[in-house]
Amino acid sequence: MEKILKDKKAIVIFIAPAFILFTFVLFIPIIQVFYYSLCDYNALTKPEFVGLKNYINLFTDDETMRTALKNSLFFMIFSAVSQQITGLLLAVLLTNIKHGRNFFKNIYYLPCVLSSAALGLLWAFMFNPKMGINQMLAYFGIEGPMWLSSTKGFIVLPMWVIACVALWQYVGTTMMLYIAQISGISKELYEASYIDGASKAQTFRYLTLPLVKPMMTISLSLNCIGSLKFFDLVYNMTQGGPNHSTDVLATHLYMQGFQYFKYGYASSISVVLLILCLIVSFLINKFIKAETYES
Amino acid sequence: MMNKSKRPVSPISIIIYIVLLLLVAVYLTPLLWMVNVSLKTNAEVFSSPFGMPEVLQLGNYIFAWTKGYLGRAMFNSLIVCVIALIVSMFLGSMASFAIARMKWKLSGLAMTYFMIGMMVPVHCVLIPLFVRFSNLGLTNSLAGLILPYITFSLPMTIFLMVGFFKGMPREMFEAACIDGCNIYQCYFRIAIPLSKTGMSVAALMTFVGNWNELLLAMVFISDTTKKTLPVTLTYFVGPYSTNYVQMFAAVIIAIAPTILVYCMFSNQIVDGLTAGAVKG
Repeated sequence: MEKILKDKKAIVIFIAPAFILFTFVLFIPIIQVFYYSLCDYNALTKPEFVGLKNYINLFTDDETMRTALKNSLFFMIFSAVSQQITGLLLAVLLTNIKHGRNFFKNIYYLPCVLSSAALGLLWAFMFNPKMGINQMLAYFGIEGPMWLSSTKGFIVLPMWVIACVALWQYVGTTMMLYIAQISGISKELYEASYIDGASKAQTFRYLTLPLVKPMMTISLSLNCIGSLKFFDLVYNMTQGGPNHSTDVLATHLYMQGFQYFKYGYASSISVVLLILCLIVSFLINKFIKAETYES
Repeated sequence: MMNKSKRPVSPISIIIYIVLLLLVAVYLTPLLWMVNVSLKTNAEVFSSPFGMPEVLQLGNYIFAWTKGYLGRAMFNSLIVCVIALIVSMFLGSMASFAIARMKWKLSGLAMTYFMIGMMVPVHCVLIPLFVRFSNLGLTNSLAGLILPYITFSLPMTIFLMVGFFKGMPREMFEAACIDGCNIYQCYFRIAIPLSKTGMSVAALMTFVGNWNELLLAMVFISDTTKKTLPVTLTYFVGPYSTNYVQMFAAVIIAIAPTILVYCMFSNQIVDGLTAGAVKG
């Protein structure tokens, strides 16, 4: 038995294909993107080493980058908070009701499997100044705002709209993860707490909440990384406009890299995005793990 | 008090149901509205936004299907996603088996290595990958899309499958070994057949993720006949964007297969997801 499981040749055969593919298509490009980000490089020329020039331009000279960074961070914080709260709440409600649990789960999860490119077009219609929701508001005699083209405020209205659409679309995933975790909690624990006279609210605070914390690490990382790299809805709802006010890191990267073909510059945006993702997952793992041990 | 305890539903649960049903409305109204718009004429959308279409404008669908190259796009999406699914499930489950069940010093390190993929977004490697693939002549071909899709599906598959394989009882593999199974038979005859739940969850996530992927497909493919479904839809963002009726007809054609499959299997999908296969 031991000998079979330690079979070196078999281990190599099992792991090599995935390892090779992963190394060539993901790992080496990660290293390359760091190198490209230090180069002056576009579609027509060979990469030429220029040091930190791209980064200096990025942070001192690029108004759009500042907007994109601001929007991406806003989007991440908004998504993380709203999805965690709504997702957990829905999971708790759905595990407590008696009838129609599957019906509700199926409906709330539906948009998660649909293409966000398609749903982006749908919501672009809903928030069109003359159609969709504004037609509904006009029916009641209210003049709706310019949902997707207003540029006032620190975080512009279109960003809030897109963030809410993202909540609508993706909260199902968070809900599912929490439902999985909650249904794994032993029924006896709940019975014991009712016998001890705990109210529903107390049970939630002192029993459910600590026991779903391990899932929080996973769903929070998925939320945060997912929203940092967010592209589809923004691209199909506003294309970064009006006047770049709804650009996020991913749309800025796409524009610089594949509309203006500034590969080196776009690579430095990639590196910023990459580092943000790593910092966020590191913080989440450290922060939430520490809390789990406490409880 | 007696009365209250006999009553079948408490006021709180009525409120809960009302909230849940309102949410259902929030989820379904936009989708139904879209169906309604897609069957109208452009004039009707403005004049009677909430009414039923006077004549069902099926022509919208025909226009979208022919002008949007949707048939071709759907076929491309299907080829790319099915191949990526099969290969990534196979490679991913093999690697997971080695990481979860076999005994070697670097298995922990290998797992960490693959988990990098969960933290790194595709967008970060877009440029080097595009440069490399265009040098190899892989851009503008479906193969050039399949390779990254397989790779980016691996981390999630490995994450789920390692959890699943680790949960299997050790005795099963011992018994198999005593009966003379070699390691490959352990994998093909025991690990794979017994991990159907885990496999189906991983397969679902892989397929849905790749089917809806937009950015990579948009960058890698420029030939109209090779575009995938989400990319084709972005055509309607620009020139046809005032033409909501045809755009929505295209959107509905594009999401109809997903909705159909989801309706058929939703209970299995949802149960599979909550069956504990997703546990970390």
